[in-house]
This record gives sequence, structure tokens and C-alpha cells, in this order.
Amino acid sequence: MLRVNGLRKSFGPVQAVRDVSFSLEKGRTTALLGENGAGKTTTLKIILGFLKQDSGTVETGAGRIGYVPDHPVFLPWLSGKAFLDLTSRSSGLGGPNWAAGVRRLCDRLLFDPALLERRPGTYSAGNAKKFACLQSLAIVPELLVVDEPFSALDPPSIKRVRDLFAETRDRGAAILLSSHMLAEMVKISDDFIVIRRGEVVARSGLPEFLSRFRPAGAGELESAFLGLMRG
Amino acid sequence: MLEKNIFPLTVRLTGLKLGASKFSLALAAFLPAFLVFLGVRTTYGTAMKFFLFFFPYVFLVAAQDMVGTEVAGGALENVLFLRGGFRRYLWQKNFALAAAAATYAASLFFLATLWGVACGKFDPFSVPQFGLGLLAGFYYVGAAGALSHFLKAGSNVVVILLVQAAALLGLLFSATSRTGFIDHLGTGKFPDLGSRLLFVGFTAVFPNLIVSPRLLRGGFTVAAGLVILLLFQKALVRRLELRK
Repeated sequence: MLRVNGLRKSFGPVQAVRDVSFSLEKGRTTALLGENGAGKTTTLKIILGFLKQDSGTVETGAGRIGYVPDHPVFLPWLSGKAFLDLTSRSSGLGGPNWAAGVRRLCDRLLFDPALLERRPGTYSAGNAKKFACLQSLAIVPELLVVDEPFSALDPPSIKRVRDLFAETRDRGAAILLSSHMLAEMVKISDDFIVIRRGEVVARSGLPEFLSRFRPAGAGELESAFLGLMRG
Repeated sequence: MLEKNIFPLTVRLTGLKLGASKFSLALAAFLPAFLVFLGVRTTYGTAMKFFLFFFPYVFLVAAQDMVGTEVAGGALENVLFLRGGFRRYLWQKNFALAAAAATYAASLFFLATLWGVACGKFDPFSVPQFGLGLLAGFYYVGAAGALSHFLKAGSNVVVILLVQAAALLGLLFSATSRTGFIDHLGTGKFPDLGSRLLFVGFTAVFPNLIVSPRLLRGGFTVAAGLVILLLFQKALVRRLELRK
């Protein structure tokens, strides 16, 4: 579904990403882990076409791609409804099914449909995040990329979003999540990719990841992650 | 981006943005009202001259904040603009804006033409003048779009207006005799290389000048400038990244 090969990206003298390679399979959720400044968001933005890599390739077979940024920002002159209208037109998924799908997603995300009449710029951080999820899930993505999926969300909303991501994965989509919330990642992810200083230092399924990197006597993933970050 | 052809989205977004701009809507309502007022209080010919000279500013107002705020604010990091779609959107916005402003201007010109025909004062030469005014308008979009890569909000338009004001004041205060550049502008004859170059520069700052029957040759300057501005914008857009 997605194949990333040898990505490199520098911002002036700072090498943000150096030789990042991985691939995502259909029906799998992959967590991209790393400390602040490790190169996670840069990698995501290259995959999505917002940044240009200095070298390397990104190949995707996904027709519809969903994207939820860490802090979603929206064009200020559009209402939520207008945004969804444009999204449906662009995806070719309009009609009664679209409207029903949006209503269902609003309900599942605990998102008040009345907010759609307002501009997303006026939403709270949590509702802006939910709206970005709503927009991306409504297009029934084949590849879903999410940066810090649970930031700004309250616990009930986190569970709802997690369940929706699981359903999306079970439908056959590939999901790439970038997050610091390791406990949540364990609940939802099938595979883990760890980036350190712009390089992939580990890539495996959860059992292998824990058995390989968890220090003796330490806890679960967080300890494994911290151990790996220390090198 | 969800579709490879993003132009319909660009057109809709541009239309919605213009519709949400109170200043643009106020100008769109004010201009025809003022033209009617001018035509009634003075003459039809005066109103038409005013329209032909000033309607390119409709393009300029429409082109405020074409790029800067959207890129810097992070609003283009959206599902709608994936896979480089934001670059196509920003580039195509030139044409969507120009088309919207041209449609509005052409509607006003059509009504003004009907008015002129009805009162027997329509001058057919105003048709090519209108065409040159459209060229000036497109030039404004190209210039404002290029500036908007470096400036936020409506400051791209403000900069153009300030440059025009400075050029006008500079011209007025430097004209020491009636045989100077102002006279050349009045006659449309530029006898030496210096005055011709000055005319080229002045036309680049005041593209509206080309609607004057004596200054039509400035159209070549404006057309060349438009091509250069669009090529410059194309290069800027091609290397643009969303680094918020």
C-alpha cells in the first residue's frame, strides 16, 4: 500500500531525515515512534507530498488518502459543512450515502453536527481534531496517516477514535500513526517503526519489539521505547 | 488531494473566498453604483472612462492574500491538498481569480455598453480598451500573487498601491517643466530612449495606463510583464513546501 525507500531531507544544515525506508501493508496499523525532532512529522509530510525529499522515493497504491495533522488548521472562510461538501466533491463520494456516513461519523466521534454550520477555526482543539478525523474517515481512505492521533482528545473521544481506526484497518486500509502516546499505540498498532535522529532504528511487530528491546525487568512498550531511544 | 484535476476545487474555493470577503463584496456593489452616479451627474463618456481605467483594480482587490497566510497558517495541510495538490491549487488560483474578476468586469461592461447604445453615445473603441483593461487586471493578479509568496494577508495589495503612490508622487515632484515626461504621457510620444524606458517602467507600475488610446503600445510591456510574473510564480510554487 505504501513503500518508502531511502528518504533523505535536510533543512539547511539540519538533516531531519536520513535514509528512512519502510513499507505499509493493507489491513495493518503501524505506529511511527520517536522523540521530538526525530523526523516523524517530516517523514509523514514527505509521504503526503507537503515536503519534497532530497532523495528517495515514495510509492503508494492508495487512491484515497486520509490525513489528520497534529494541530489541524482550516481555511478560515469555510464552514465545516462547506469543507465536507468540497471533500465529497473531490472524492466523488457525494450523495445520500455521504450524508448518512457523515451523520454516523459525527455520532461515533461524539462530534456535535451543529458545529458543521460554524467555521472549524472557531472549534476547540479537540473538536478541530475530531473534525479532521471526520473529514479523513468520510472519504473511506485506503491509506490513513495521522500525526498524534489522540492529542487534544478527552478519554471517551480517544476510545471512539481508536475504535474507528480499528474498523478502518479491518476494512483493509493501511494506517500510519505518529504518536508519543505509547500506551495508546500498544492498543491499536500491529507494527512499530522507531525513528531516531532521522533514521529507522527498529521495525517489527509488537511481540518482537517488546522481546527485543525491553530491558530485563522493565515494563512494557514505554520501557522498550525509552531503552531504544537511549541507544 | 483526492482528484488529479484540482481545478474545480480551486474555482469553488476561490469563489467561496471572494464571497466571504466583505471588502470585495463592498467594492463589487460600490463600483456599479458609483458608475451610475457618475454617468447621471456628468456624462456617459466620463463614467465609461472611469470604468475602463479603474476596473483593473477589481482584479487587484480580488488578489489580496493569495498565498502567504494559507501557507504560513498551515491550512493547506489538508486532505484536499495532498500529493502536491496545494501547489496546483496556488498556481491555478491565478486563473480562477482572473476568471472571476473578468466575469464581473465583463458583466459591468456589458451593462455599460447597453446604456451607451441606448443613449447613442457608445464608442466601439471602448471594446479594445476593455480588452487591454483585462490584460492590466491579469497583470495585477500576477503581481499580487508573486508578492503574496513573501507577504501575508492583504499586504501584497497594499505594497502595490504604495509603489503606485510613490511613483505618482515622484513623477509629479520631478516634473520641472511641461516638456517633461508628463507631457510625453499626454501625447503618447516618447522621443528618446530615456523617456521610452521610463514609460516602460511606469507602465509596469501603472498597467491601467494602457487603456488610454495614446498609450496602447504599453500593452506589450504589460503582456511581457505578465508572462514574467507568471513564470516567476510558477518557479516559486514548484519549490514551495509546507513547513509549518
